[in-house]
Amino acid sequence: MKILLAEDDFASRKFMDKQLSRYGECDVMVDGEEAVDAFMMALEDDEPYDLACLDVMMPVMDGYQVLKAIRNIEAQKGIPKEKCVKVIMTTALNDERNVKMAFELGCEAYAGKPLDVEKFEKVLKRLKLI
Amino acid sequence: MAEEFNTDSMLSMFLYESGQLLEQLEGIILDKQDEDCFDDADINEIFRVMHTIKGSSAVLMYENITKVAHKLEDVFYYLRESHPDDVPHLELVDKVLAVSDFVTGEMDKIKDGDNPDGDETQLVEDLDEFLSRIKGEIKKQGIRLPKENKHEEPSQFYITPVAENDSHFYRIVIHYRDDTQMSNIRAYSATYALKELAEDLLYSPEDILTNEDSSNTILMEGFHILLQTKSSKEEILDLIDSSEAEKIDIEEMTANEYGRGLVEFGMGDPSEFIHLEEEKKEVKVQKSTQKPAPGDYIVKAKETGKGKTLAKNQHKQQTIISVNVEKMDALMDLIGELVIAEAVVLQNPDLKVPGLELGNFQKASAQLSKITTELQEVIMSMRMMPLTNVFQKMKRIVFDVSRKLDKDIELEVIGENTEVDKNIIEHISDPLMHLVRNSVDHGIEENTNDRIKLGKPEKGKITLEAKNEGGKVYISVRDDGKGLNKEKLYNKALANGLIEDRPMSDFQDREIFRFITLPGFSTKEEVTEYSGRGVGMDVVVKNIQSIGGRLDIDSVEYEGSEMTLVIPLTLAIINGIVVQVGNSSFVIETASIKEFVRMDNDALVQEPGGEEYIVLRDECFPFIRLNERYNLSGSADNIEDGIVVVLEHEGNQVCILIDKLIQEQEIVVKPIPSYVKKVNGISGCTQLGDGSIALILDIAGLMLTEERR
Amino acid sequence: MAEELVEELLEEDDSDSQKGKFMTFQTGKEYFGISISYVNEIIAMQPITPIPEVDNYIKGLINLRGKIIPVIDVRVRFKMEPTEYTDRTCIIVIDVKSTVIGLIVEKIEEVDTILDDDIVPPPSLGHKEHEHSKYVYGLARTGNRVKLLLDPERLIKQEIFNVLEDIQEEEQS
Repeated sequence: MKILLAEDDFASRKFMDKQLSRYGECDVMVDGEEAVDAFMMALEDDEPYDLACLDVMMPVMDGYQVLKAIRNIEAQKGIPKEKCVKVIMTTALNDERNVKMAFELGCEAYAGKPLDVEKFEKVLKRLKLI
Repeated sequence: MAEEFNTDSMLSMFLYESGQLLEQLEGIILDKQDEDCFDDADINEIFRVMHTIKGSSAVLMYENITKVAHKLEDVFYYLRESHPDDVPHLELVDKVLAVSDFVTGEMDKIKDGDNPDGDETQLVEDLDEFLSRIKGEIKKQGIRLPKENKHEEPSQFYITPVAENDSHFYRIVIHYRDDTQMSNIRAYSATYALKELAEDLLYSPEDILTNEDSSNTILMEGFHILLQTKSSKEEILDLIDSSEAEKIDIEEMTANEYGRGLVEFGMGDPSEFIHLEEEKKEVKVQKSTQKPAPGDYIVKAKETGKGKTLAKNQHKQQTIISVNVEKMDALMDLIGELVIAEAVVLQNPDLKVPGLELGNFQKASAQLSKITTELQEVIMSMRMMPLTNVFQKMKRIVFDVSRKLDKDIELEVIGENTEVDKNIIEHISDPLMHLVRNSVDHGIEENTNDRIKLGKPEKGKITLEAKNEGGKVYISVRDDGKGLNKEKLYNKALANGLIEDRPMSDFQDREIFRFITLPGFSTKEEVTEYSGRGVGMDVVVKNIQSIGGRLDIDSVEYEGSEMTLVIPLTLAIINGIVVQVGNSSFVIETASIKEFVRMDNDALVQEPGGEEYIVLRDECFPFIRLNERYNLSGSADNIEDGIVVVLEHEGNQVCILIDKLIQEQEIVVKPIPSYVKKVNGISGCTQLGDGSIALILDIAGLMLTEERR
Repeated sequence: MAEELVEELLEEDDSDSQKGKFMTFQTGKEYFGISISYVNEIIAMQPITPIPEVDNYIKGLINLRGKIIPVIDVRVRFKMEPTEYTDRTCIIVIDVKSTVIGLIVEKIEEVDTILDDDIVPPPSLGHKEHEHSKYVYGLARTGNRVKLLLDPERLIKQEIFNVLEDIQEEEQS
């Protein structure tokens, strides 16, 4: 499984990288813009990501903007729903309006920090990623 | 709701909303318990409740709740679509309650921070079996089976953050020796090393790499680190180079404290508060509601070690504001002080200089009074909550206990919207439950024939009533059952050595009824699952007394009993008249005063036993000399030198003698400090405008002690 | 004066520095001490509003900056003959597990530092000679005086002792 990880905080990045590497190949980005670039590139190389884990608070572009951009790109390229990348937001922000906004923008899951690793794995199974 | 939810608002929302839905559900069940089936509206309602709970629990991945709700939704789907006749109602009710209890149980576990690990398989099997029977019935009745109930697969999930059980939170402070060179670099290497095992890491000072002055800060104050990790203290200490460290303090903290530490370090949510849920009142603290939008969360280019700061200035907007309960309490105290301070100003002796033109002042002070009164009302309303929830619980208890004991009992509820201070609700729930259980268990007759013989309806009746009056709340539990037999009570109390050996006629009825509240009153034979362990009633009374209340018991044998909780509102501001008796000041609630009269000595009647009465317009009233009763000095003995006040309480009257009327004013009722045991006839105290303390007379208490003589 | 001393010491919030410090006072012929962790403040005598029908050692209520607190006369509590209040008479305001009460004492002494090692248990009660021995948990010698150290929690727990008192008095009679 190909995974895109966008996280600007060093400690969190190391942690998530370690977690995600158990399930597949993990590419790590440190800001929103890089994440969108990486996503684009993967699509064009015909090796799209299966899963994207996005932090919300990041420099240049925040997680929501990245999510929006990804969905827009997918729509533009006419990618069918089953093939769209599954997005999980990971963030310490867990006010319900933030969560609702994320769901509206089209993410599959929203994980509060600190991350509950067991539940995270359950979600991956539900999303049929593992 | 008095529980504190954790700070995850998605979770809080789920628990709150589901809790409300389940209460609604229970409400429907209990309302319709005497019917033999649900009507269409009920079926729809229950379907919707289960559908909602199924959906929201699925998002949070509480699978056992989802499965159970799913099944019950199916049942009600079929009921809704097919309308079969002869649905086994009682069994259906049982199933619904079983589901409700299961979900509530799991939610309680979640609230406590535990895993909702309940096993739903049995319940699901039961529901499955029930459902196939229903489907069988439907077919038998020739009704077409509707299409299968479609359930949408949940597609979006919310993963609640959690401090993993094996995650630890540490606060580490490294003290370097005073002569250490470049302590900032050493500090940096410590953090670098810790990143190996850190799930989260924050430190202060933050600019250790970029600012050389940080070394001085580090030497003076130590280097502070907040660390979240699964590792142990030893593993951590191993990683930190302690060659130049004079001392390394490492202490473990809770997740909450860690969260707060994050706030100090510049990120994270300000933590635990209780949600102030006040939707009914006009008083809603609202902030402008701006929806968050993509782009609001861009951070400034992150510098190593610094907490994140948002590029845009973010205001957290909510329609409901969470307030720390301690602040609410402080606010309540302050408003009491404000009322007193207002009195000090308005009654200030400086104003009593004769000849002063006070027209403008009066206008201004009237405005001030108006505002403080409104302020009081608003603040009190913030803490007031209706008794509805408490009463709902009682409904459920009557339902459960009466079914288990096979008694047919109707529960009538009056005044459930009566509002009471939040603090009080927490303390009366248990006592009330005990009283209600008692009524069901011991009050209502077991044998309906006994009731019929006495001309009572077969169905037992219990009435739960609440009302607000004169700064107090009266909550009573009335039953029309067997009532209390005074002789039995007296004999039992005597036999158990709980009272002095005096003839029964020495005791007032009220006192005899009170025997049931003596510790150790109930004997072992009467211990049932529901009441009568001999530790019940006295604990009930203690609980009530702890909030300054009392329990009144009244009963007529064969007709029934009534237990009444009388509780003062926490911040009672009442209208009272300040009077002087000797050198002491007292306050009498205006509502209790019938009239003031100056009397002649010939209106006074003295009995040989020493009791005195006042004759007023051909009526005779008992007369109490407060100065004698309370050992006050400096007071008039001759009623012609003082003023007689006729007081009234619940139809009874009594007269007292005072020396002077001071004035009428608003009184902030403060309880007599709990250290001082209850004084009969005094219900509280207050500060007057001049700073002195006045005691508040309790008319009911006065009358009680008078009866004793 | 003792008050200023106490104020200075009470300002320090660090609980470590409060250990071993006792507020001492004189009542009757004895000197007593209370750990200053219980002491909120010391105030001069002020007008007391009597409460009717309470135990005789509860003198009444005072208004302390808006808070109404009960005050007890230590002499009366220790069953000594009550004495006239002088201008030396003070009220020590103590806070025992959120119960705030004032103790009327005849004369304030100093704040003494007494280490745990210097505290000896009181002589076993047996036939109690003094009322106050119920509340004394230890003795310490400072300077040339023996100070009786009071346990405020026992002082507050009156209900239990009232009952015990009654029983003991009955036994003695």
